[in-house]
Amino acid sequence: MSRTDVNRLTNGGLIDRTKPLRFTFDGKNYRGLAGDTLASALLANDVRLVGRSFKYHRPRGILAAGSEEPNALVTLRSGAHAEPNTRATTVPLYDGLEATSQNRWPSLAFDFLAVNQLASPLLVAGFYYKTFMWPAALWEKLYEPLIRRAAGLGKLSMLPDPDHYDREHGFCDLLVIGGGAAGLAAALTAARSGARVIVADEDVMPGGRLLSERHQIDGILASDWAARVAAELASLPNVRLLTRTTVFGVYDGREYGAVERVSDHLSAPSSGQPRQRLWKIIAKRAVLAAGAIERPIVFGANDRPGVMMASAISTYVNRYAVAPGKCAVVFTATDSGWTTAHDLVRAGVGVGAVVDARPADARHIELARRLGVEALFGAVVTEVHGRVAKAVTVRTAEGAPRRISCDLVAMAGGWNPAIGLGSNLGARPIWSDAQQAFLLESCPPGLAPAGAAAGDLALGDALRGGVHQASAALADLGIAPKGLPSFSASDDFAAATPLWQVPGKAKAFVDFQHDVTVTDVQLAAREGFISIEHLKRYTTLGMATDQGKTSQLNGHAVLAAVIGKTIAETGTVLSRPPYLPVAIGALAGHHRGQDFRPMRKTASHRWAQAQRAIFTDAGQWKRAQWFARSGESEWLESVNREVLATRGSVGVCDVSTLGKIDVQGPDAGTLLDRLYINNFASLPIGKARYGVMLREDGFVMDDGTTTRFAEDSYFVTTTTVNAAKVMQHIDYARQVLWPELDVQATSVTEQWATYAVAGPKSRALLQALLPSVDLANDALPYMGAIELVWKERVCRLFRLSFSGELAYEISVPARLGEALILALFEAGRAFDVTAYGTEALSVMRIEKGHPAGNELNGTTTAADLGMGRMMSTKKDYLGRVMAGRPGLCDPERPRLVGLKPVNGRSLIRAGAHLLSPGQDAVAANDEGFVSSAAYSPTLGLPIALAFLKLGHQRHGERIIVHDPVRGADVEAAICNPVFFDPEGVRVRG
Amino acid sequence: MADLLVEQLSGFGLATIMARKGVSGMAIGMALGVEAPAQPAFCRGENNLALIGTGAGSWFAHTDMVSPAWHTALRDRLAELASVSDQSDGYMLIRLSGEDARTVLQRGAAIDFHPEVFAPGAAATTVIAHIGVVIWRRDDDARGRPKYEIATFRSYFDSFRRWLDHTAAAL
Repeated sequence: MSRTDVNRLTNGGLIDRTKPLRFTFDGKNYRGLAGDTLASALLANDVRLVGRSFKYHRPRGILAAGSEEPNALVTLRSGAHAEPNTRATTVPLYDGLEATSQNRWPSLAFDFLAVNQLASPLLVAGFYYKTFMWPAALWEKLYEPLIRRAAGLGKLSMLPDPDHYDREHGFCDLLVIGGGAAGLAAALTAARSGARVIVADEDVMPGGRLLSERHQIDGILASDWAARVAAELASLPNVRLLTRTTVFGVYDGREYGAVERVSDHLSAPSSGQPRQRLWKIIAKRAVLAAGAIERPIVFGANDRPGVMMASAISTYVNRYAVAPGKCAVVFTATDSGWTTAHDLVRAGVGVGAVVDARPADARHIELARRLGVEALFGAVVTEVHGRVAKAVTVRTAEGAPRRISCDLVAMAGGWNPAIGLGSNLGARPIWSDAQQAFLLESCPPGLAPAGAAAGDLALGDALRGGVHQASAALADLGIAPKGLPSFSASDDFAAATPLWQVPGKAKAFVDFQHDVTVTDVQLAAREGFISIEHLKRYTTLGMATDQGKTSQLNGHAVLAAVIGKTIAETGTVLSRPPYLPVAIGALAGHHRGQDFRPMRKTASHRWAQAQRAIFTDAGQWKRAQWFARSGESEWLESVNREVLATRGSVGVCDVSTLGKIDVQGPDAGTLLDRLYINNFASLPIGKARYGVMLREDGFVMDDGTTTRFAEDSYFVTTTTVNAAKVMQHIDYARQVLWPELDVQATSVTEQWATYAVAGPKSRALLQALLPSVDLANDALPYMGAIELVWKERVCRLFRLSFSGELAYEISVPARLGEALILALFEAGRAFDVTAYGTEALSVMRIEKGHPAGNELNGTTTAADLGMGRMMSTKKDYLGRVMAGRPGLCDPERPRLVGLKPVNGRSLIRAGAHLLSPGQDAVAANDEGFVSSAAYSPTLGLPIALAFLKLGHQRHGERIIVHDPVRGADVEAAICNPVFFDPEGVRVRG
Repeated sequence: MADLLVEQLSGFGLATIMARKGVSGMAIGMALGVEAPAQPAFCRGENNLALIGTGAGSWFAHTDMVSPAWHTALRDRLAELASVSDQSDGYMLIRLSGEDARTVLQRGAAIDFHPEVFAPGAAATTVIAHIGVVIWRRDDDARGRPKYEIATFRSYFDSFRRWLDHTAAAL
C-alpha cells in the first residue's frame, strides 16, 4: 500500500513508526501508526471532513484531541459490534479498524439535508416546541420520526451486543482521577507513603498534557518523566494503575463509578476477556486531577473544518507527529496559544499570524520575533472563509479588516477546569474572578481538586497542587508521609484574558455538537429563558454526548452579556453522572440473557428435564409446569392426563420451592399464635395445621401448613413467592415487636427437597418405598407428620393434601433429593405413577376451591376467602384490629364462589367481571371478578373461582361473566367453590 | 496463566445456631469447645468444628467431615442454649485458592479482600451476582497462597457457577 499519511511529520511523536496499521474510514483505506488515535490518523491522512452537524448538517472536522470532542463522532466497527457516537479523538488505532461517518445522506461530502441551513431561521432555539406544536396527534406519527431521522447522531445496530462486560470493586485510601501532572504527583506522594492508591486515567498511558507538550520536569522531557513515574507506581504493591479508565460519577458513601476499556483498543477481545469493566471504587479520599478543557472562541463560521483547539493542534504535532494543516492562523486570548504557535513553527508548519486579542506585551513581541511570525495584538478573527477553512478575516487593533490565507485556525480561548464530577452530588461551582473560571468551592465528601482542575494551570503549580492535596489526604487519614516529593518544572506561562465572543454577521457557534449559535442564546434570553438551567433545556446547549464540555461556559457568558449580568451572577449548570457516555452493557455486566437474574433449581431439576418438563418461573425458581409426552399435541392434553392419572392412581409433584422456616425456642408457639389468625400453641407434637396470617392492615398475607416436631420446634411452610416476605415478617415480629419472647427462626427452604405424592395409590407407593414404616391411618392420620430414616438421613413424612386426594409430602435433605425422585418413580412403576407439574397442581386446587396466589392477592380478607371462622376471638394476633375495620367487615364484600358455565362448555377466563343478568356492562354494576379458571378434566367442564358480592348466599343463581377484551359474555352458575369431593372423603382415605 | 484452583466441596456439614434468649456466645463456645466469634469471623476449634459469625447471636457451625449424627449431636450439646437447624444440604461450598482467587472475589463481592482487611479467619455474609453468599478465608496453603470458601444456597449454584466461570475466564 502506498503512503497515504501525507501530513505525518518526519520526526518526533510518541508513535511507533515501525508498526504501520491499516484502517478504513467510510470504506476508504488509510494507513496509520501504532500510538495513533483514529483522529490523529485521519489528520495524518489529510482527512479534514469527518462529520455533519446535528441540526444544520454543516460539514465538521476534528476540533479537539481528547474526550471533550463534540464533532468527530463516528460509528466504530460494524454489524453487531458497531458502536455509534464514538469520539475519534479517544479511539486508539488498531490494525483493521473500521469507522464510518454519521448523520449524512447520501455521503459525507454531499449531504442532502445540508439544505437545513437554508431553513435555519426556522431551526432556532426551541424549534421543536414552536414548529411541531399542532396538531398534537401528529407528534408520534410524523414529527418525532422526522426529527429523529433528520437531526441526530449515530444509529444503533439493533442487534444484540455480542461483547462481554464484567465488574470489579476497588478500595483505596486515595483515588486519583486523572494521571496528568497533578495526578501523578499526588499518586506518587501517597504511594511512597504506603497508602493504598488507585489511579484512573482515561488515556492509553498516563501523562495527560505532558504527552502533548514539550515541557521538562526534573531535567528530563515531561513525557519521559510521566513514563518514569508511571513505572514506579506500577511497581508498587499498594498502587493500582488503571489506564483507559474513565471515572464517570461520584456517588454517596465516597463511591466512584468508572469504566475500564479492557479490549476496546484491540481489534477483538482476547479469549474470555470482557470488552469493558465497570469499577465501583470506594475511596476514603480522592483527588480530582482531571485537568482543564480548552475553550473555543465564538466568532463567525468558527465551526468550519480546519478550525481547531490550539492545544489539540499542539497534541497532534507533538504527540502524534501530525501537521493538521500547512498554514495556520493562531487566534488566542491566552499564553498557551503562543505555545501552539511555537510548536507549529518548530514542526515546520507555516504560521500566517498570531492574532492575540490582548494588548501587546514585550515577552510576546520578542517571542514573535524569535519565531519569525507576524503578531497582531488587540486583534480578533471575525470570520472563517471556505467550506473547509481557506482564509480568515481579522479585525486589527485599528479596526481594519484584513484577510489572511490559511488552512488551519487555532483557537485558544482559555481553560475551563474539568470539574464536572465535583458537582455530581449537588455542589454548584463558584465563579472565580482571579482565575476566570468556575471552580469547586464545596466538593463531595473526601474529594479535592488539584492541578488544572483546581485552576492551577501552570505546570509547576499543578505539580505542587498534586503533592499538597495528597499530603492533606494522608494527614486526614493519619498516614505519615514518607518525604514529600518536589519537582522542578520548566517555565509555563498561563495568563489568559477571556474573550467570550467576537461580534460579526456570520453564524457563530457556541455549541458545535448541538448547533447552538450566539443568535439562539440571545433569542432564548429574549423569550425569557434566562435561568442557566432553562437556557440549557430550551436551546439544547450543552446536551448530547459531549454535555457541553467545550461550549457550556461560552454559552453562559453570552447569556450573561445579553441580560446584563456577570458570569458569577448567571452561574453554571450542575453536572450529573455519567461524565462521559457509558455503554449500557457495562452497567449490566454479567447480568443479561439467561444471567439477567439468578435462577433457582430444585433437586429434581435435572430429572425433570429428562422427563421433558416445560418449566415456568415462580419468582426466581424454575418449576416444572407440565411434562409433555410424545403424541400430546398441546399443553392442555398433558395437564388433563396428569390430573386424571393423579386422581385415578398416583402422581408426584416437586413442591420443594415452598418456603420453609424453622421456628424454635420456648416461646415458638406464642409467636405463631400472634402471627396466625388461628391457634398453634395448642397443636400437638406430630401434627400439622393449616394457618392464615394477616398483614398489619388486616388483609391476608400468606397461608401454609405448620407442623410441630417438638415442644419447642415448629416447621412453618409458606407459599413459594412469599417465602422471603414471611421470613422478614417473622424476624420483624420477634426482633422488633416482641423481643422479650425467647424464639429463634431461620429459613430452611434450601435444606429440604419435598415431593407431594397424591392419589388413591399414594399410600401403596410409599409403602413400597418405605416397607418398614407404618403408614396406616392410625399411625399417620390426615394432618399427621412423622420423622423416619431413609439412606441414613432423618426425613419427614407429612400427611397433607393440596389436591384433595389421599396424599403425602415427603421431605428429605436436599442432597438426597435427586435420589428420592428416582426412587419414587422406581417404586411407583407398579402403580403407573405420573409426574405432574404446577399446571395440574393448579387445576386440582381449583377443583378443591383452595385459594392460591390469585386469591391471596393482597386485597382479600380471611372472610372473603371463606375462612372467617378460623379467625380466633380468644387471642390477639397481627392484623386483628385492622381486620375489624368497617370496610373489611362489610357483609357485601365479594366472597369466594365457584362458577360453572351453564352450557357446560364455554370457557371462563380469569380477570373477567361479573354482572347480574340483564344489567348494563358498566362499572357501577360490577359485582365481582374471576380470580382463577381452569378446565376440569375431573368434571369434564370449565370451572372458575371468583369473588362475588354476597357470593356465599348466592349458590345456585346465574351470573354473567363479562369479558369484553377477550371474548363474548358467558352465563355461569354460582356454586360452592369446592367442586370436587366437598365432604373431603378422599383425603382421609 | 491464571493461578486459580476451583474445588466444589462435598462431605461438609453446616448448621445454623441461634442463641436462646440471654445466652452468650461465650456459653455456646464453651459448650462446643470452639470460640463463638462476636463478629463475622471463621473460628476453628477442636473436633474439626468451626463457628462462623453470621449475625447478632447467630453462627454457622461448619465441619469438613460430616457424619449422619453430626447435627443431632450439635443440637444435644446446645440443648437449652441455642436453636439448631441443619443446613448441610441447603448450601453448596466452593473453595477458591491461588494467587488470583482474590481478584475473582473482588470482581464479585463489593467488600474489601485486601489481605490486611480480609485475613485468614475473616468471614463475610454478602452478595455475588445477586446471589447471597457466606465467604470465609481459611489458612493459606503450603505455598502461602490464599484459600477462600464460599457457601451459596443449593438452588442458586448453577447460576453462581456461571458467574464464576465467566469471571475466571477473564483472569
